[in-house]
Amino acid sequence: MTEYLVLKNGTVFDPMNGIDGEVMDICISDGKIVEKGPSNAKVIDLKGSAVMPGGVDPHSHIIGSKLNVGRLTSPESNRHYPYPATNKTRSGVAGIIPSSFATGYLYNAMGYTTVIEPALPSVKALGAWEEIEDIPGLDIGLLPMFSNSMISFKYIQDDDLSGLAAYIAWTLKSVGGLGVKVVNPGGTYAWAYGKNVCGLEDAIPEWDITPRMIMTSISNAVAELGLPHQMHFHPTNLGKPGNIETTMQQLDALKVTKAKGKKKQTVHLTHMGFDCLSVVDGGMANWKDVASGGLRFAEYYNKNEHFSTDLGQITFGPSMTMTGDGPFQHSLYQMSGGKAKWSNLPVDVELPGGAGIVPFTFEPKSPANAVQWTGPLEFALSIKDLWRLFLSTDHPNGGPFLKYPLLISWLMSKKQRETWLEMVHKYAIERSTLSEIEREYTLNEIAITTRAAPAKILGMEKTKGHLGIGADADIAVYDFNPEKTDLAKNPDLILKYFTQTKFTFKGGQQVSKKGVVAKHLSSRVHSIHPELNEDLSQRIDRELEEMMGKWFSHSFSNYPVPMRYREHLEMPKIIDSTSVQA
Amino acid sequence: MTEDITIHKDVPCTFCGCLCDDIVVEVDGNHIIKNTNGCAISKERFLGHTENRCQQPTVDGKTTTLEKSIERAVKIIASSKRLLIYGLSSTENDAQREAYRLAELARAVVDNTTSVCHGPTILGAQESGEPTAGLAEVRNRSDLVIYWGANPAAAHPRHIPHYIRQPGEYIHDPKQDRKIWLVDIRATTTSRMADRFFRIEPGTDLDVLQTLRALIRGHKLDVEEVGGVNIVELEEIATAMKSAKYGVLFFGLGLTQSRGRHRNIDAAIRLIQDLNAYTKWNMLPMRGHYNVSGANKTSTWVTGYPYAVDFARGYPRYQPGEYTAVDMLARGEADALLNIAADPVAHFPRASVAHIKKIPVINIDPKINMTSTAAEVNIPAAIAGIECDGAATRMDGLPLYLRKVIEPPKGVIPDRDILRMIINSLKKEMKK
Amino acid sequence: MKQIEESTMSSGSVNVLLISGRTLGQGRAMEKGKLTSDYEKAVAICELDTTAMEALGIDDGETVVVQTEYGRTIVRAKHDKQLTPGIAFIPCGPYFNLLLDAYTQHTGMPGFKSLSASITAAPGASITSVEELSKILKEGAK
Repeated sequence: MTEYLVLKNGTVFDPMNGIDGEVMDICISDGKIVEKGPSNAKVIDLKGSAVMPGGVDPHSHIIGSKLNVGRLTSPESNRHYPYPATNKTRSGVAGIIPSSFATGYLYNAMGYTTVIEPALPSVKALGAWEEIEDIPGLDIGLLPMFSNSMISFKYIQDDDLSGLAAYIAWTLKSVGGLGVKVVNPGGTYAWAYGKNVCGLEDAIPEWDITPRMIMTSISNAVAELGLPHQMHFHPTNLGKPGNIETTMQQLDALKVTKAKGKKKQTVHLTHMGFDCLSVVDGGMANWKDVASGGLRFAEYYNKNEHFSTDLGQITFGPSMTMTGDGPFQHSLYQMSGGKAKWSNLPVDVELPGGAGIVPFTFEPKSPANAVQWTGPLEFALSIKDLWRLFLSTDHPNGGPFLKYPLLISWLMSKKQRETWLEMVHKYAIERSTLSEIEREYTLNEIAITTRAAPAKILGMEKTKGHLGIGADADIAVYDFNPEKTDLAKNPDLILKYFTQTKFTFKGGQQVSKKGVVAKHLSSRVHSIHPELNEDLSQRIDRELEEMMGKWFSHSFSNYPVPMRYREHLEMPKIIDSTSVQA
Repeated sequence: MTEDITIHKDVPCTFCGCLCDDIVVEVDGNHIIKNTNGCAISKERFLGHTENRCQQPTVDGKTTTLEKSIERAVKIIASSKRLLIYGLSSTENDAQREAYRLAELARAVVDNTTSVCHGPTILGAQESGEPTAGLAEVRNRSDLVIYWGANPAAAHPRHIPHYIRQPGEYIHDPKQDRKIWLVDIRATTTSRMADRFFRIEPGTDLDVLQTLRALIRGHKLDVEEVGGVNIVELEEIATAMKSAKYGVLFFGLGLTQSRGRHRNIDAAIRLIQDLNAYTKWNMLPMRGHYNVSGANKTSTWVTGYPYAVDFARGYPRYQPGEYTAVDMLARGEADALLNIAADPVAHFPRASVAHIKKIPVINIDPKINMTSTAAEVNIPAAIAGIECDGAATRMDGLPLYLRKVIEPPKGVIPDRDILRMIINSLKKEMKK
Repeated sequence: MKQIEESTMSSGSVNVLLISGRTLGQGRAMEKGKLTSDYEKAVAICELDTTAMEALGIDDGETVVVQTEYGRTIVRAKHDKQLTPGIAFIPCGPYFNLLLDAYTQHTGMPGFKSLSASITAAPGASITSVEELSKILKEGAK
């Protein structure tokens, strides 16, 4: 059934197509944006409204067992946020870790239409697909983790790039993954021994490899396969003051990977706000001496174009930290004096997750938190090329995705920053240059960093993140007139208008109006199926069956996610990786 | 006869939380004739799947059609004010999700067997978190495994032989290099399989756990014994735990059901967390039913909460003690019961059972059980993992795809389809 | 020990801590079917230790009455030589639950491991079948 729709007279921000606040019409047919609409199309007049493509969020923890553990162990984080059912939508809870149905609806209400789960333990993928059935209204992708799997280690130790690439390809096909996630390479594995790694050349227990070898081998394999999204990288030493040094070292180490396609970037550094903490001059690597690394990292970013990044902004208030960085999560627990509720999820080959979950509250008056808050903002406001950046809070680590409008307001409004600088601990002023920065993001720049750039970073820019012909008709309409509204001087309006769109369209269908979701759409899953050549394909089947039989405690044949859970949701993209040597 | 034999490999078993997925099932036409690798209970489950079945739907004890039984079920639900939906741990994930959908529609309470099993474990985790283990990791690495208040020989027969007393990548000789200890109030078959057995007095788990915590932290205690265990032995245990390379604590209903309930679990969690300052320790509850872990998972992602969920206000609310089945029934609060894949009449205290007998009951189960005799409506269901497919979650969180190896008895459909029929019918009824 | 001797002297009964749980037999019979004689045989039993058996003067398989504050049931004694004196075990099922109160301390969990009971020999008593039990429970509720 073809649905024709014409959205007339909106003020459009479509940076990928060079449109910056132009009044124009958007024609939709069959879920796609087309050149012209037929005369019998339904017309909606968007005069006086800002229009952007649907939001694209490449890093948000919305699926998986660590998320469930977070909800299960902390019901108090959701109790006060009921999300009632309507006769068209399901009920749930909408606190800092919303339940599945609520997650989809809330993202839609905010104008987001594409969300990527950035850390999947591949052996648990079946559960992820089941959850996706209950997350409505989104285009979703999954990033399986590879950096702490004994199978990866074996190939890396043997210097067998083809084997590693084939293992990645096999896994992406078997579980319907979109790209490759690397988390604290070797460190989460060392956590099975109660240890961690810090430096690039550190020893990894029982294996003759180093973190450097792991991260470079995987990024090489990703490039070799031609995956559209570069290696998604959570570096070693997360959350440690002074880690800006080791983060830059790791990024430098990753320069060895040669980009194969048009894109120059071969690595995506995620949640830089947690990775780029500096210390005061002559200070020690501890929270007492922590300082913002934003400016310094902006300089590094401007000079080194081989990576993209996202902010990982903390937003203050209660949050739930959950990462695949087991040792980091344990250290948070220890920092709390053993009071925090610490949960640990297993790491080994079979469940290569190694996650930890610890509830955490970021306090404005805490000197450490105040400084950490300034870092990503200082960075974002100091860099030149916004096309390698997207906004994030590493939901729910730095803060829930519901607080994205707050982050946007800090970037768009100096006045908002001043208000907050007065509220937070004075170290925010003393240990960063944030108070001196005048720059304010324009709507175009917000559209870049929340739509166009993330789509490109994911390699999904053909159909996502823009409003040109051929794009999916995912559209966010905001209830303010960009020409008449001074958002920078009235930052409360940013919170108001970006929390709930006037309309959100997903695939041409109107899913929400003024925050009320009246349509429950089934989500879709974007995956990449790299085709290997016949020899390599046979080799990897054989070798994986052997290794999994040896190391796993369940059957090899029960690993792949059955089609019965995928076929109605999956939109696989086949890529030609046959050039990878057998 | 031999021509028609199909061999199904790597079939997950749907009895206990081990969810062993190496079962080889041989099917001859429409009979399951062999189960290789399964424990005695697994064999009974597969080979005896046709025994004692509820063959046809019944209403008021009389055989009737599926449609008529659904009709009566819907009538009961539509006229109830406080429906309790219970069970779910012995059926697959899709059926559970339909149950939540129904609960939301009917503004009912939905609880699963967790409340009488490892509910206190969840309550303990809600106090302190949960440093959990994974079965492969245990097999590959663990040099000290302690079972506390659990009797796997009775409830998880292959746990020790299939998962624990097996060589792994870093432990090559599971007899020499891996010690299995048991802490319990009585000797059992498991204590005879263990390398060492420590008997503690009933109701003293909390004391013993806290003592171990103190000893591990280096405190000296001025007592001779705690919980009937000599202090020297306790010091031995503490030292062994502290010097293990990778320790795992498997705990069972001895901890969750004893005096102290969730406080026992809380203490155990804190003990394991403390140990992580010195070495590597994890813990794992011995989940009884094959998909009770799945019920917690599905409930948590759909409603935000793991069990004891109430939809009276049109959104999920959570409160053990209020919305848990035993309590709701004992208080006489539920005015109708929809029971799916469980047997509360057999397993609940008599005061709760007495109330079940007073209210209209809809019972959905493959077999005739004690709740069937109390039910106004009985609807037969296909057995998940044998007669219909689905997904379930192992005790350590691993999801597994359940197979269909044989057709269900004529006219018998999966729980999830029965629930869908009820929901569709109820929606029509509510529009009137 | 002393307590048991006293009770033996006075009333021919034994006081125990009564606990419940699974057994292999109960699991197999449950899978077969709850209304089968296999199931009844598996759950209508009370495991007793040597001293209890001697104090009651009974042999393995003889019927006993188990009484708690909340109820009373007749089951067959099963001698478990390894069992600790002072503890008795009835597998989870309807015979145990007749004796159990529903107080969960607001946790949802009744006291399956902490029931005080007294055991008395009852030679020749008959065991209510599971099916009859269902009926009795139904009538008792009205």
